[in-house]
Amino acid sequence: MPGAETSALELPDYVRRLPSGLYRSLSPLTKLTIAAAEAVVAFGVRGWTGPLVVLACVLASAAVASVLRRIVPFALAALPLVASILLVNTFLYPNAHDEIGRFGPLAPTWTGATAALQATLRVVSFGLSAAVFALTTPTNDLLVDLERRGLGRRGSYVVGSALEAVPRTVGRAREVAEAQRARGLDTQGSIRRRIGGILPVVGPVVFGALSEVEQRTMALEARGFTAPGPRTQLRALPDSRLQKLSRWTLLGLSLAAAAISVTGAVTVP
Amino acid sequence: MTAPTIEFDGVSFTYPDETRALDGVTRRIEPGQTVAIVGQNGSGKSTLVKHLNGLLRPSEGRVLLDGADIAEVHVAKLAGRVGLAFQDPDRQLFAGRVSAEMAFGPRNLGMRGAELAGHVRAALEAVGLAAEAESHPYDLGYSRRKLLAIASVLAMGTPILILDEPTTGQDSRGVAAVRAVVAGAAAEGRTVIAVSHDMRFAAECFSRILVMRDGRVVLDGPPEVVFGEASWPELRATYLEPPLPAVVGARLGLGDTPTEASLVAALAPARVAPRAVTDARTPRNG
Amino acid sequence: MIGATYRYSRTGRPVLRDVDLTIEPGRVLGVAGANDAGKTTLCLVASGMAPAVVGGRLEGSVSIDGVDAAGLAPYELAQRCGLLLQNASTQLTHTTATVFEEVAFGPCNLGLAAGEVVERVWWALRAVGIEGLAPRDPAKLSGGQGQLVALAAVLALRPKYLILDEPTTELDPAGTALVADALVRTARETGAGILLVEHKTEVLARIADQMVLLDGGSVVLAGPTADVLSDPRLPDLGVEPPVRVRLERDLRAASIELSPALREALA
Repeated sequence: MPGAETSALELPDYVRRLPSGLYRSLSPLTKLTIAAAEAVVAFGVRGWTGPLVVLACVLASAAVASVLRRIVPFALAALPLVASILLVNTFLYPNAHDEIGRFGPLAPTWTGATAALQATLRVVSFGLSAAVFALTTPTNDLLVDLERRGLGRRGSYVVGSALEAVPRTVGRAREVAEAQRARGLDTQGSIRRRIGGILPVVGPVVFGALSEVEQRTMALEARGFTAPGPRTQLRALPDSRLQKLSRWTLLGLSLAAAAISVTGAVTVP
Repeated sequence: MTAPTIEFDGVSFTYPDETRALDGVTRRIEPGQTVAIVGQNGSGKSTLVKHLNGLLRPSEGRVLLDGADIAEVHVAKLAGRVGLAFQDPDRQLFAGRVSAEMAFGPRNLGMRGAELAGHVRAALEAVGLAAEAESHPYDLGYSRRKLLAIASVLAMGTPILILDEPTTGQDSRGVAAVRAVVAGAAAEGRTVIAVSHDMRFAAECFSRILVMRDGRVVLDGPPEVVFGEASWPELRATYLEPPLPAVVGARLGLGDTPTEASLVAALAPARVAPRAVTDARTPRNG
Repeated sequence: MIGATYRYSRTGRPVLRDVDLTIEPGRVLGVAGANDAGKTTLCLVASGMAPAVVGGRLEGSVSIDGVDAAGLAPYELAQRCGLLLQNASTQLTHTTATVFEEVAFGPCNLGLAAGEVVERVWWALRAVGIEGLAPRDPAKLSGGQGQLVALAAVLALRPKYLILDEPTTELDPAGTALVADALVRTARETGAGILLVEHKTEVLARIADQMVLLDGGSVVLAGPTADVLSDPRLPDLGVEPPVRVRLERDLRAASIELSPALREALA
């Protein structure tokens, strides 16, 4: 067995997995803080500055972490929401009278359009910020970090399995839908038919999820999950005083910026 | 009942995650044939049968029923001609009573009243669950829930019946019920197709066996041929073992004996010492 | 396990009646029976999961190496008696990125020193024979491989006994052979006592030393595997005898003599 002698008591590299790159090697908590700060600024600071600054930061961090191309699908996924925001606000903004033109009963306004674009920018920058976080932080790393800081093993497991439960439930729902369609369930017919088709799909998914709970609980117990005392952490996640300082500073600044903007003490475009 | 002819014409299928599950499969299944499809997990067995009721559409090639391409036909419509019972019964059970669960399929096909009740009753009897019509499906054990799932598809009266791993996890009573279902359906003239890991079930209940590997059909023929000595290299390359009777029959030079019955029959007239074949072949199945 | 009678608290009806059995270290004890004979419940009771985790009422006692299971917490039970269920996927945590970390999950839960954790992981992987799988993603393994990982994961807690409930039912023939071989290897390398519930009597014939047959919650047959599997009552009890037994019976019924050549061919 190659390397068995040397790795007898050493952690293999593929477990140690130290991430490389300036952005990625930040501690997960730092990345989470950055995302939270970006969210606060995007929605808290009035005007164009807030969302634009956030967008710039997001794109910069995406570039550093080399995920620029991978966040494009997330931006595209936001298109329907963006379109509806634009339409609703441009055409139906209350108390706006600076019309762009008249198309029959519809009167789009510049105020409305402006508001629409700003709202779009907020949503998109927040979404991309979340996307960058998700793409650069393996879930397990985040959970390990949180657990080290006191989240507790049950807490981290709950979060972890909740996150993992989503694709699993979707997968199961698809299997159930397949089985029922093979029995003639019409997933394309009239509304009444489709409503009638909810129980045959939801029922087995729920039943399956419930019965799985007991099995999973036993499987966890069989692995000593409820043993007392702290869990051994195999992977060391790097953190530094500088990062810790930056986290508090960032959070403080972003909250302050939002507060200032909301109270109108200082206005920015 | 005359079942439709099934044709796969150069069917290939690639899943969204790039796995190529089927590779140019071309086969024809005549009306009323009983076919067992065997192979390791990942060989494409389930993928192939899901093309028959439209759950999957070929990436290349065509699937034809009675010469007509079914690419544009709805799954819900194909369900009236092709019944598919899945391996995991808990995927589909949702009603509070066995009778309600059984009625779901036939009702979707437009059956009502006496016709519906008749089909349901006949199917329950075919699997031996007639006494459980008013029970709650989850009060039945796993074996009987599996039989219920099969019965619920049987009740739809489709000319083509497909069973996905019907004997896995079944005790001997359950297996006997499944065999009875296959025999009964075949007697009615239905085409019966089963995907299975169970070589004995395949050899004893089906007239034709398709062995699949890596998305292709590597062996195709009656059990005597597919489990006969000439096919063993191919079988073993698929990590499948021929049934023990076939191995014994070959060792003793008795020809192709894929089933226990055929081995016994081959031995019966030849009560003289059979010629022992002295090569080092050892049966590897437990 | 002595005189265990067990009821699920909900139905009040005993699922196991007066079951006596002993698992010996280094040996494999096979359990067969019809689907509702109580085999899974037997696994839960023998491992202490019932009543500790699942509830229900137990009369009689389960003791593991002289210690009463009733007095042990689930995590202590897990270190004495490992439990492996049918569905490999349900037993994996789905929160680990590599098989190594998946197997390390148990020892990490116990708070062992990192060095000890690593040592145990390699030991478990070696015992099952899957060192090569260590860097792989657990979510991308085949069913058989997943079961082997689950086996190693339970072994990493170093239990003296292993209880497996139909581990090969959902596997294809290749996966079944993989798991069966791994069990033999594990028993040999670790000296663990194994309780194996199976439908596939061929597997039991191959790896079980002793066997027990359950029907309606009671033990109706017990003894060396060969004896139990050739008992004529098997089909009535919902268990399919292995193919060799059936063949010998059919040949005897057709009055065909079992010549030496035939015997050799059957062996």
